[in-house]
Amino acid sequence: MGKYFDMLMEDVRMREGLNSCMNCGVCTGVCPAAEFYSYDPRQIVSIVQTRDDEAIEELMRSDAIWYCGECMSCRPRCPRGNTPGYVIQALRTLSQKLGFFVESEKGRQQLALKRIIGDNILRTGYCIVPRLVKPELHPEQGTVWQWIYDNDKEIFGRFSPVYMRPGAGALRRLDEETLGEIDRIFEVSGGRAMFDTIERHSDRKAREMGYAEGADQQYMMDVFTRNSNEHYE
Amino acid sequence: MKKRIVVIGGGPAGMQTALRLKARGMEPLIVEKEAETGGKLRGWHVLFPTFTPAGEVLAELRHRVREAGIETMTSAEVVSFTQHEVALADGRRLTADAVVLATGFTLFDARIKEEYGYGIYDNVVTSADIERMLDEGRVAKADGSRPKRIAFLHCVGSRDEKVCQQHCSRVCCITGVKQAIEMKRLFPEADVFNFYMDIRMFGPGYEELYREAQQRYNIHFVRGRISEASPTIDGGIQIKAEDTLTGRPLRMSVDLLVLLVGMRANDDNAALAAAAGLERAPSGFMAPRDPFLGNVRSNVGGIFYAGTVSAPKNIGETLNEAAAAADAAVDYLNA
Amino acid sequence: MKRNSWQDYQKQIADDRYYYGRSCIRQNFFPGSEKAFLDILRNDLGKELLDDPKHSSCTGIGYHSDIVPLETIMTVVARQFSLMNESGYENFVTSCITSFGVYTEMLATWHEFPETEERTRENLYKATGREFRKPASLAHTSDVMFHFRNEIAARAKQRLVDAATGEPLKVVEHIGCHYAKIFPKSGIGGSEFPYVLAGMIEAWGGECVDYPERRHCCGFGFRNYLVQANRGYSIANSHKKLESMAPYKPDFIVANCPGCAMFLDKWQYAIAEMEGTTYGANGHGIPVLTYEEMAGLVLGYDPWALGMQMHQVDVEPLLDKMGIEYDPAAKYLGRNGKYIGKPASAVVNCCATDTVYDMRE
Repeated sequence: MGKYFDMLMEDVRMREGLNSCMNCGVCTGVCPAAEFYSYDPRQIVSIVQTRDDEAIEELMRSDAIWYCGECMSCRPRCPRGNTPGYVIQALRTLSQKLGFFVESEKGRQQLALKRIIGDNILRTGYCIVPRLVKPELHPEQGTVWQWIYDNDKEIFGRFSPVYMRPGAGALRRLDEETLGEIDRIFEVSGGRAMFDTIERHSDRKAREMGYAEGADQQYMMDVFTRNSNEHYE
Repeated sequence: MKKRIVVIGGGPAGMQTALRLKARGMEPLIVEKEAETGGKLRGWHVLFPTFTPAGEVLAELRHRVREAGIETMTSAEVVSFTQHEVALADGRRLTADAVVLATGFTLFDARIKEEYGYGIYDNVVTSADIERMLDEGRVAKADGSRPKRIAFLHCVGSRDEKVCQQHCSRVCCITGVKQAIEMKRLFPEADVFNFYMDIRMFGPGYEELYREAQQRYNIHFVRGRISEASPTIDGGIQIKAEDTLTGRPLRMSVDLLVLLVGMRANDDNAALAAAAGLERAPSGFMAPRDPFLGNVRSNVGGIFYAGTVSAPKNIGETLNEAAAAADAAVDYLNA
Repeated sequence: MKRNSWQDYQKQIADDRYYYGRSCIRQNFFPGSEKAFLDILRNDLGKELLDDPKHSSCTGIGYHSDIVPLETIMTVVARQFSLMNESGYENFVTSCITSFGVYTEMLATWHEFPETEERTRENLYKATGREFRKPASLAHTSDVMFHFRNEIAARAKQRLVDAATGEPLKVVEHIGCHYAKIFPKSGIGGSEFPYVLAGMIEAWGGECVDYPERRHCCGFGFRNYLVQANRGYSIANSHKKLESMAPYKPDFIVANCPGCAMFLDKWQYAIAEMEGTTYGANGHGIPVLTYEEMAGLVLGYDPWALGMQMHQVDVEPLLDKMGIEYDPAAKYLGRNGKYIGKPASAVVNCCATDTVYDMRE
C-alpha cells in the first residue's frame, strides 16, 4: 500500500500539486480535456490520494492520464491549492519509467512524440523547425502553409538572414558546440535515459502486438495516426 | 458600586450580552462603531429557517436595550483595549472592570474571487445583495426584467485556500436554501439551482427546509463548485462547473448568479488581539481559551467573547453565547 | 470590456538591455513578428537587446509532451541563464508563452525546493562546465510591448479604429494559458482579467470584447495537437472559442502566444473546409494577429514586411478598415521581390489569389 504514491511523491510536482482534494469539481468544470474526452481530472486526483497501489497502477496503464493538455487552467482555481495538471505530469513520468504507458493507445503515442519532438531537439536545438511540419501530416495547416513549405527559403529568407545557416537570427542552424552542450545535458540529467526508456518499452510492446521489426517507422506512424474513437462518451 | 463592563460591538451579540449583564446587576456600556446598533442584522431581510423578518428581531432587541436603560455609545470606534481600559479612535479612554468583545465578522468581499466577475458583470450578485433587494422589494436582473434562471453558488470565500479562508462559514448553506425558496416564491416560473459541495444543515429546521426546497419548490441541487462565470451577449451569465455526481462538466447560462458570501474574521482583530495579548485562530477569528469548557473566555482574564468574533455562527447561537459570555464575565468579577 | 483595476497584478519590467529568448513556434510561423519585435525595440524605441546565436529552445514543448524530464528542462533553462550571464545581460525576455511558463515554473520550483536548484547546478556543470546566476527580471515579450505601449502610441501612424467612422475596432484578446494560469502573479492583470494585451489595445484606440469563452484554452494541448490522432481535441477547443466570440463580430483576434495565434488561424481554415462554417464578416475568417503585428501596424510597418501573408485567414479586410495602404501585388513575393507563386485559395479566404497580380502573366 502506498508504493506508487511514494514514488510519485519523489516528483516535486506531486508535492506541489497534491495537498488534498475535496472533490468540488472546479478543475473538471474548466478543463478543455474533460469537455472533449470522457475524462475527469478530479477523479484522477481523487484516485491518487487514496494511495491505493492497484488503483494507481491501473491509472498508469490507462488512457485516462494521457488526455490532459497541460494547459494548467485547473491550477489557479483549485480551492485546496492542488494542481491536477502537475499530478498528471508526475503520473505520466512514472508511467513511462515503469513501462506502463505502452498498455494504452494514448500512452503508446509517447513514442511518436519522442521521435518527432525529442529527436528534433537533439538534432536542431529546437522543438519544431519548418521542415518538420510536413503538409501531408498537417493538412490542417492549410494552403498558405503549403505555399510556405514549398518556398521556405524565399519566404523565411525575407525575415531572417540565416535561415538554416549559422549566425544570429530566426531559424538559424545552431552551432555544433551548442548542440553538444544540449546533448550532454540530456545525457547527465536523465533526458537521454527517458528517450531510451520510451524506445525500449515501445519496441517490446510493438513485438507483442505483432510488429516483427519492433517499434519501427510503421509502428510509429500507426501510434501517431490511430484513433480507436473509444475516448469519448 | 456596580461593576462596569464595556461591551465592544452593538450587534445582536453585544446587545444580548449587555441585557444579561444588566439583569445580573452589572453596569454594561455598549460601544458601537456605526451610527446605530444592530450590526449585520440591519441589512438582512428575513432570517432562516423561519422567514422571521430580521427587523422584528432587531426591533425587539433594541427595545429591550432601551427599556433596560443600557448606556450605548454609537459612532465610537475602538482602536485598542485591555481588561481595564478601552481606547477610542477619537482619543477618549473608557475605564472598565471587564470587556466583552462582540465585534462580529466581515462579509467576504466577492470581488476577490475574480473568476466570478462580481462588481464587473451586472447580474452577478451576492447573498447580501439579495437580502437588500428583498428588503427594497425589488429583485430583478440589472435591466429590470424577471430572471428565468437563477444559480446560487455556495462557499464563496469559504473553504478556499486561494483566498485564505479555509474555514466553513456554516450559515451560507441554509442561506442558499432560504434565498432559493424566496426566489421561487417571487418567480415561480424560474429554474433555481444551488451549486454546492456539501449541504451542511446543522440547525433545527434546516434539513426540513432543504427538503421543502427540493420537494415543494423543485429547486435543483447540483453537487459541484462553479469554476468561472462570464458574460453572455444577451446580458446573462455563463457558468462552468462539474456535476460531480455524474462526473461530467457542465456549462449553462443563467440570468442571475448569486454568490453566497462567507464570514471573514475582521481585519482589525489582529491589532486588537496584539494590544490586548489575545490569541487568534489560524482563520483570524479570536481563539477561545478552551473550545469546550471556556468557549466564551479568552486567554486573558477579564476579556470575553460573544458571537461571531470567535467563529461563524447563526443568530440563535450568537444570542445564546452572548448570555453565556455575560454570565462568565459576572462570575469572573464576583469570584 | 469592464474590469476591475489590473494594478493589483503588476510586475517589474526592465526598461532596457534584454537578453532575447527565441520561441520555436514564433520563428516557425511568425518570423516577421519576431523581426518586428526586435526592430521596434531597437529602431523605434532605441533599446538594446541581444540575440545570442548560442541560445536554444527551452525544450518546453517536449517537457509538456512529457518526454523531456523535469531535471533536463531545468538544466536547459539553467544553460540559457548561463549564456545570459556570460554576455553581461540580466533581463531575460522570452518570446514564447510556453517558455515563459517554463522559466517561471523553474524559478519557482528552485525557490520552493532548493535541492532541485542544487541538482541543476551540478547537472549543468557536469554537462557543460557552466555555472549560472538567476536573471534580475523575467518577462514575456508581450510584457515589454505593454511596458512601452504609451511610447508606441505617441509614435503611432495608425490607430485601431475604423478609418471610415472613427469607431474603435472590436478586438478579441487571447492570452496563452501559461502566461498567468500557472502563476497568476507573474502576469499583468493576473489570470482572470489579464491586461497585457488589453492595455495595448486600449492605448492604441481599440476596444476589447469580453465573451463567454474568453479564458478558454485555444486547444493546443501539446500532445493533443502534436499527435495526429488527437487533433480532434485541438480543433474542438478552438471551435468552442470561435463559436463563442463570433456573435460579437470582432474585427480581429490578437494573441500573445505564438501557438494560440497559429491555431486560431489554422483551425478556422480547417473548420471552413470541413463544415463550410466561417466566423468573420462576409463569410470569411476572422484575422488573427500577433501583438507584434498589431504594434507594427500601429507604427506604420508594411503588412507584408510583418509577415502577415503567412496567415491563412486574409488580413486585407482589417487593413482596409484601418485605412492602411498596402500593395496587394506584393503579398506573395519572396526575397528581393521575386515572384514565387501563390497559395491555393480556400473557403476561409476572401482575397481570391487569382486576382493578385501575377508577375509571370
